[in-house]
Amino acid sequence: MNIRGEMYIMNSSLREKIIEVLKYIVLSAFAITCLYPILWLFLSSFKTNDELYINPWGLPERFQIKNYISAIVDGKILTYFLNSVIIAVAAVVIAVFFSTMVSYAIARMKWKLSKAALNIFMLGMMIPVYATIVPLFSIFNKIGILNTHMAVIIPHVAFSFPMAIFILTGFLATIPGELEEAAVMDGCSMYRIFFQIIMPISKSSIVTVAVVVFINVWNDLLLPQIFLTDQSKMTLPVGLAEFQGQYSTDYASMIAAVVITIIPSIIVYILLHKNIMEGMVAGALKG
Amino acid sequence: MNKVLGDKKTIAVFALPAFLIYFVFALMPIFYNIYISLFRTDLMSPAVFVGLENYTNLLKDTTFKKALVNNMLMVAGSLIAHLPLALFLGNLLFQKVKGSHFFQTVFFMPSVICGVAVGLLWTFIYNSEFGLLNKLLETMGLGNLTQAWLANKRVVLFCVIIVVMWQFVGYHMVIQLAAMKNVPEALYESARIDGASKWVQFRFITFPLIKNILKIDAVLIVTGSLKYYDLIAVMTGGGPNHATELMSTYMFYQGFRTLKYGYSAAIGIVLLLLCIFALFLLNKVFKSEPYEY
Repeated sequence: MNIRGEMYIMNSSLREKIIEVLKYIVLSAFAITCLYPILWLFLSSFKTNDELYINPWGLPERFQIKNYISAIVDGKILTYFLNSVIIAVAAVVIAVFFSTMVSYAIARMKWKLSKAALNIFMLGMMIPVYATIVPLFSIFNKIGILNTHMAVIIPHVAFSFPMAIFILTGFLATIPGELEEAAVMDGCSMYRIFFQIIMPISKSSIVTVAVVVFINVWNDLLLPQIFLTDQSKMTLPVGLAEFQGQYSTDYASMIAAVVITIIPSIIVYILLHKNIMEGMVAGALKG
Repeated sequence: MNKVLGDKKTIAVFALPAFLIYFVFALMPIFYNIYISLFRTDLMSPAVFVGLENYTNLLKDTTFKKALVNNMLMVAGSLIAHLPLALFLGNLLFQKVKGSHFFQTVFFMPSVICGVAVGLLWTFIYNSEFGLLNKLLETMGLGNLTQAWLANKRVVLFCVIIVVMWQFVGYHMVIQLAAMKNVPEALYESARIDGASKWVQFRFITFPLIKNILKIDAVLIVTGSLKYYDLIAVMTGGGPNHATELMSTYMFYQGFRTLKYGYSAAIGIVLLLLCIFALFLLNKVFKSEPYEY
């Protein structure tokens, strides 16, 4: 091989290395952009208000939990937290239970309208919740459940169905029919088949649906803001928004309250990020 | 077997509860909303039928028009901000990067965090006194650029779009990356044998084959930006002087603050129509034939 050829090979491998390094620099820079603000919140939540001004970037002088105490005592964050848990857990349980059942009927049972039913549910992916909040407010007012947790839970359940049913029917359609046949031979009823065979083998899809519904409900501001009026029934996002108005000078405590709000989502994400990513992009990939 | 799976009563028990909840609390309210939008009502005293007056008033309402324009700017801004950046990052991760899974997980994380918390986090960053952005500009010797970012009506919408980007670029990247992984590996192999560069591979294999998903992603971005609410509600409340007012915040204000529910319902219908219109428009723009491979 002549010298020119060798130079060429060297250059191109050098070029590839440089590109490789650049790639990691870009990716790491973006990863830091995503992570640093969240890390900053955690660090700042242990600082005093004065420290926030003097030393916004670094570690706190000492990790003091004063901000958390004032967020809990003055900001009533624990009450909001409890309300958020009640609403999110109830919405998840109801949504998962009913959507699994209807998905089973759509994907496995033999009836003429099953395809039509699926299409009607899928239509819901296009409906913005804004086109329903005024009428829902009026309906809830008439049946007297305004300012109860039910008023927030019910619309969340209804609007979770399209995504949930999309994911679940997709999975249920792949179960081999022999499983049910064998169970029927053994004299199992449909209900036993559903609860003792179908639900356990659908566990992964059910978890996906559950975590996505949980995250949506936990993070939502609009519905509790509209349907709840009592402070004592409010959820964390509403509480945070109020906190901002009332204690707008005590930034450190506000930051602690923000940390308390995002910790559950982050823990759930760290544990189940695979399901969450799969579930949150599922609707997009049906095309 | 078919007899068991076709039993009408069992089917009803399984399907009806979800269907009833969905019908009563998601589908029916849309029609009820159209009805309410034809009235002047505070939902307490008797409603007055006004026909299409709420809609004609919307056309004359300068704040609503401002909100509509802002929504369009948000849509355009989000499309420009999300699609290329997500595509770029997705393509980087697509090329057998070490730690690809780690990067994906990190990039996606902001999208699972509560919008109110994200909004507050960024009001701290934009804060004029201790905000990170101003401090960063000072350390870089650009102290004359520091300002109260969210109080300046010329830059505030741009500031909000940056936050939306921070929160959702990773989400869109994961969607596009999933699409890229569906492209058959054999196509790239034969391209490599033919000596095609990375760019050529992207331009002539990846891009055309994920066009369909890009379309769906564009739909998600557009309908998503029509629906932003919590970020704005927390960061600016639609201010200063309606510079960041969106249809969602304006609808909330008209309905649940000034109790003009008919008017608010009309805004809801406009939002619904815009979402449907966006879907049709994007279907036309991205008319792509299915590829055989």
